[in-house]
Amino acid sequence: MEWVEVEGNSIDEAVEMAMRELGIKHRDDADVEVIQEPKAGFLGMGGKAAIVKVTKSQDRRPGRRGRGRDSNGRSSRSPAESTKSTTDRSQQGQPKTSNQGDHRSRSGSGSKDTDKASQKKSSQKPSNQRPKGEKKKVQRDDRPEAAPIEEQAKVAAGFLTGLLEAFGLEGSVESRIDDEVLYLEVNGEQTEALVGAKGSVMYSVLELTRTVVQRKTYGAPRMRIDINGYAERRREALKIYAGKLAEQVIADEGEVMLEPMNAADRKVVHDAIAEIDNVRSYSEGEDPRRAVVIAFDDDPS
Amino acid sequence: MSQGEIVERVVTYVVGEIVDNKDEIEVEIVSDGDDAVVAEVRTAKSDMGRVIGKRGRVARAIRNVGNAAGDEEGLSVQVDFLD
Repeated sequence: MEWVEVEGNSIDEAVEMAMRELGIKHRDDADVEVIQEPKAGFLGMGGKAAIVKVTKSQDRRPGRRGRGRDSNGRSSRSPAESTKSTTDRSQQGQPKTSNQGDHRSRSGSGSKDTDKASQKKSSQKPSNQRPKGEKKKVQRDDRPEAAPIEEQAKVAAGFLTGLLEAFGLEGSVESRIDDEVLYLEVNGEQTEALVGAKGSVMYSVLELTRTVVQRKTYGAPRMRIDINGYAERRREALKIYAGKLAEQVIADEGEVMLEPMNAADRKVVHDAIAEIDNVRSYSEGEDPRRAVVIAFDDDPS
Repeated sequence: MSQGEIVERVVTYVVGEIVDNKDEIEVEIVSDGDDAVVAEVRTAKSDMGRVIGKRGRVARAIRNVGNAAGDEEGLSVQVDFLD
């Protein structure tokens, strides 16, 4: 796993430096963990620098698999080495850094102590555990084994039940596991409060549930949540929207790219389009910016 | 019911589920006008990173849910994470 811990005057600045070290071009490919929030104060006197730990995302780009070794067959586990092997390929397209200021990077010569410190941290925190296909990599940092998904489901449902209670809302929580995906359903007249405008609160609730599950079970299952059928209604709306766009695409004999969506939403669109003649759909780009394209297709076969 | 009671309960609960040192959480509700409160959250130093999360995602989620809690009692809520 490639990561560096970097100190800067602001979180953004520290992240940018870390990205450069790791040869990451897009912020979306960086998993950022804030170790220390910056605190105002005269630089170096009373103030506190921002410290972030940035890990190169593992699961967004294909072709990153062979990254464990460099051409000499050395393992690139130490940040210093891995940094070296990645900076080369990031020569073009580096993030613009007009003003580097007088920040200090901790991942250079002084990396020894910070490495130790953060390794201690990372063994307590499975912050980058991925749900699928990353088991081998995960074991490198000696993280505890994830609890079984049934246990994860229990923890998730327990958290949501407690949340309802804290809100003073009556409602029920159900969890279900289907094909390794953890489905959570909250129902009750009063639980609308947990949906929020455009589902914003619901997604935050999901985010928190995910965090709690990860903290308590070291698991990172794929999770879906629905509160009072909101997600289901959204799926219906998405289907109708896709149908309308398809009509337009057919009329124009053109194509249209939708907003980036998560995999579940994209599947809703693909399924809807598959049922309509003279259009086809495919996805473009990489998560989390992956988006569906609906295109005219006069030769459906 | 005192002002911000639900907010306090919700924020305390959520933060408590995330940190290691539950006993060191402090959530203080400070009035910020008639229908606004500030929830000041303090945790053990070692837990703050967890509560804030990658790219501040966890902190944002807590703020969002804290606001939803405020809606329940007609309050707008600001959640501050202090150390």
